[in-house]
Amino acid sequence: METAALALEMLNITKTFPGVRAVDDVSFGCARGEVHALCGENGAGKSTLIKILGGVYRPDSGSIRLDGHEVAFSHPVVARRAGVSIIHQELSLLPYRTVAENVFLGIEPARYGLVDRRRMREGASRLLRRLGSSIAPDSPAGDLSIAQQQIVEIAKAFAIDARILVMDEPTAALDRVDATRLLDLVKRLSSEGVSIIYISHRMPEIQVVADRVTVLKDGRTVMTAPLAEAPTGRLVRAMVGRELSDFYPPRPTRAPGSAALRIRGGSNRRLRAIDLDVRAGEIVGVAGLEGSGKSALGRAVSGDEPFESGTMEIGDRAVKARSARSAIEAGLGRLSDDRKREGLIMQQSVRDNAMLTQRAFANPLSSPTAEPMSTVVADRRLKQLDVRAASFDEEIRLLSGGNQQRVIIARWLARDPEVLVFCEPTRGVDVAAKASIYKIMRDLADRGRAILMISSDLPEIIGVSDRIVVMREGGVAGELQSGATEEDVMAIAVEHDQRPSALVH
Amino acid sequence: MTIALKEIGPRSRAVAAVRRINVAVVVFLAFYLAIGLLQPAYLEPAGVMNFLRRAAPLAILASGQLFVLVSGGFDLSVGSLVTLTVIGGSMLTANDPSKTWWAIGALYGIGLVVGLINGAVVAYLRTPSIIATLGTLLSVNGAAMMWSGGSPRGYLPDNFRMFGRFVFHDVPVIKIFPVAIVVLAAVAGLAWWGLHATVFGRRVFAVGDNARAAQLAGVRVEFVRLCVFAISALSAVTAGVMLGGFGGVSVDVGRGLELQAIAACVVGGVQLMGGRGALVGAVAGALTLTALFTLLTLLGWPQPLKETAQGLILIAAVAFGAWRRRRGG
Amino acid sequence: MSDAEALRLTQVERRGSTAPLMLLVGSVALYVGVALWTGEIKMLETDGLIGLLQRMVALGVVALGQTFAILAGSIDLSVANLISVAAVLASFIMQGRAEMMLPAVAAVLAVSALVGVVNGALISRLQVNPLIATLGVGLILQGLLSASFTDFAGSVPREFQAVAYGAFGVVPYSVAGLFVLAALCALTLATTRFGAHLYALGGNAEGARLAGIRTDLVTIGAHVVCSLMAGVSGLYLASRLRSGAPWVGRDGVYDLESIAVVVIGGTLLAGGRGGIWGTLAGVLLFATLDAAFNMMGVSAYPKLVLRGAIVIAAVAVYTMRTRDPVA
Repeated sequence: METAALALEMLNITKTFPGVRAVDDVSFGCARGEVHALCGENGAGKSTLIKILGGVYRPDSGSIRLDGHEVAFSHPVVARRAGVSIIHQELSLLPYRTVAENVFLGIEPARYGLVDRRRMREGASRLLRRLGSSIAPDSPAGDLSIAQQQIVEIAKAFAIDARILVMDEPTAALDRVDATRLLDLVKRLSSEGVSIIYISHRMPEIQVVADRVTVLKDGRTVMTAPLAEAPTGRLVRAMVGRELSDFYPPRPTRAPGSAALRIRGGSNRRLRAIDLDVRAGEIVGVAGLEGSGKSALGRAVSGDEPFESGTMEIGDRAVKARSARSAIEAGLGRLSDDRKREGLIMQQSVRDNAMLTQRAFANPLSSPTAEPMSTVVADRRLKQLDVRAASFDEEIRLLSGGNQQRVIIARWLARDPEVLVFCEPTRGVDVAAKASIYKIMRDLADRGRAILMISSDLPEIIGVSDRIVVMREGGVAGELQSGATEEDVMAIAVEHDQRPSALVH
Repeated sequence: MTIALKEIGPRSRAVAAVRRINVAVVVFLAFYLAIGLLQPAYLEPAGVMNFLRRAAPLAILASGQLFVLVSGGFDLSVGSLVTLTVIGGSMLTANDPSKTWWAIGALYGIGLVVGLINGAVVAYLRTPSIIATLGTLLSVNGAAMMWSGGSPRGYLPDNFRMFGRFVFHDVPVIKIFPVAIVVLAAVAGLAWWGLHATVFGRRVFAVGDNARAAQLAGVRVEFVRLCVFAISALSAVTAGVMLGGFGGVSVDVGRGLELQAIAACVVGGVQLMGGRGALVGAVAGALTLTALFTLLTLLGWPQPLKETAQGLILIAAVAFGAWRRRRGG
Repeated sequence: MSDAEALRLTQVERRGSTAPLMLLVGSVALYVGVALWTGEIKMLETDGLIGLLQRMVALGVVALGQTFAILAGSIDLSVANLISVAAVLASFIMQGRAEMMLPAVAAVLAVSALVGVVNGALISRLQVNPLIATLGVGLILQGLLSASFTDFAGSVPREFQAVAYGAFGVVPYSVAGLFVLAALCALTLATTRFGAHLYALGGNAEGARLAGIRTDLVTIGAHVVCSLMAGVSGLYLASRLRSGAPWVGRDGVYDLESIAVVVIGGTLLAGGRGGIWGTLAGVLLFATLDAAFNMMGVSAYPKLVLRGAIVIAAVAVYTMRTRDPVA
């Protein structure tokens, strides 16, 4: 029985928005030095709960206690000053300012209004060293890698003595090496007494780093348990209410056809001599660490940052994809990894978003709902992809991440492309929606399309691909057949040739 | 936001629609009623027709500016283009009515070139439209001065001025029917069709909302930009021809019109960051502004203070829009 | 482009930090080149060079202020009209009397500061788009001014004319003043908390807010600085023209040109990066171009046409390399 007060207690928190109860009588606690994982589908209430903790929202009822004392946060700044720091998924460093300036943003050490640069630099160095980093405090934040930027964000939190750290999907943009380093840091910080709330969809990480796990569903706490009692299967069942076994789609029934996409010697600023085949009916997964060039590959194939030399064929036609538009004309579609910035037309309806590409190629003076862009056809396609929305007329920004992703897929399918490139297809998508998107990809492949899937999510690569291409430093480093393990992939990705069975180019 | 909203029933949808457009129309009617109280002649058919005639140039300008605003940009050069049209008109026709049609054609040609330059600078040189069109404003004004040698001739032939001045008399019910209204109806109808009933219009909305996403989806963003600035420029020439019929030829005829057009659109509910707007709003906004200026004139406000009023309206309209967006989310 | 790439400085953006030097060298080369080519050798003598620097003052002072506004992620299009107001107000209050100099200057600075507060408040509190807010305020000012004055108003006493015409030996007071102001501005940006917060606001407004920075106060502060500088510039013009007229601001195109020189100098239009010396280098370039046109005998109206084209070209040089579509 605990005699000391918990570092953080959220008791009977309820928050209602018009039309929905986002958080329903949730109680949640975190002891000093505990790493408490928080899981749940998108819409389960995690982000609302965290926003309440961070002072963005005020709860309708319930209370928050820090070390036994009740607190009320009227503004995010108040929460930060009380020792609660949230590390968001979207990093918010100022790229043109130095690391030190970023760490001490808003709390610059000053004398009579003049900033004391020396104290700032020394302070930043001290904080970074504590985090095990040797980043120079005078380097511009924009020069750092994503992993380093995250360290700076954490340093920022400790600059105001954070005792409770909330990390929202911290490894989402990190590769395996950096993610492991981050998890080590999390463990070290917790041993120093920092309470950490770790929000993640990545089950393997939770198994490695958490002390306790809480699962939210539909705004309510479904389970809170120590790690020993929370194996992945039980967690997933609690989150989605069904078994994990159907998560990844079954293997294809037919052998793949001829090559639908053929790249020979594709090179540009970021890529070296790429040779790649994707056959009709096949899902080729592309894996690699950050900087390996896998996202660059997706962009090159789709014409966004085109190849500067080499050849590309789609079907058996030579293609010069110099722009996104020409790639689409050649029969290719690409689902961007950043749907907010590169995919969604937020204020337009679901239907308008689904028909965007068709409208890009239709006669400009024709009616927007002329055949084949009729409402009936569009709606049918959206329903086939299981898009859930109150009405297809409503603005797409109101949909969940998984639904938005499906609408974008509908957009690309409208022109019936031969080759589809999926970049990070389930980023920001909850567990249930992930499974359905994998199924969609499998169906598309089974119906004769060639799918290229570029992803940082290794379990996804392993589970969905028929063949895996591993990239390193801008080139293809190796290829694996389905049945490979994550270790196999990582071995090639980091140039650690311990497995003689791996095929290497 | 991943929160599921309750079903949006037909009644609340209707209320939302009513709330959205009708602000400008309601305000316009209120202003017009006030005008009518001060000067009952405005409530007679002839008075209404005359009012619409005088509001036509601004409504036409707003209709063109609408396309640029919805695409996410600003066209600050339309006022100077109006000036160039009027001055150019007088220089090209040289008081010879037989040259009018040719002159108007040439002016449309010039306008098109200016519009395409604007569009090209924004689309290909990636210069923000504020800077690009402010620069065009300078150059076009300078060109107008160069053309007229600094002292513009005061005459335009009558058939040129017809578009602004001419009214059909002895028309049943409405008594007079100005040609300007025909032009306005044609322009507004064309603009409505172009923005709301074509694939092109949808592309404009998409580009204004998220140009990058539109580009990756295959939309030729550069071409859309060229078109919207061309449309805006052509509307400016049309408004210029009409304004040439209203008054004399001077270097000030177009001054401030770009801001009036933007103000009209904003009052009518057009979103300044692009992606949202409606033709009805632009026209209603123009009518509202014209009504306001008429009201101020009737109340005896001196001419320069109308600029002040315009500034206030512009700010108030945008602030109101921002407030509504914050409230409604 | 992923967040990672968006946050990484590209080669092009790095180029922005060498802009001031390149502009300086370019301007010198241009000036010397045109002077030699047109045979106007006397422009290369002390008098000619001093004249060039003097031509920088009016735009330079405004541009210093505009730098603050743009760094903060905002913009100020009311400066031209404010300059007119300042010039007319100063001249009107002074009425040629030396004892009214101080009250006139005080009044002008007070009015300028007030305009800055209004601009800043509209933008930060009422969330009005900065373009519209400052355009609107500019319109309001213009209307009020034109309603009250149609011609030169009052006059400036001889003592005040020293601002524009006096000198320490070879160096005019005005030029020295410009550089002193520039140094003060640069110092403010580099060493004060206000400066640090200004860059933060321009770089990431939401991040700045979350860090506890009072972004509304910073915005207002930036606009007050900008408007004060416009007021000072108006005072200078009143001194130089010996009186103030309602069209001095508009004629000088101070709104557009101040924005242009700030951007040419390497400050991002979106804010968050840039500085004073770049702005001054941009002002030098414009002054040089103007002098070059004069040497080449380009008359007033064609100069107007060219001015517009130059502004666009100058900004386009920077923005041309952006990959993403821009509105």
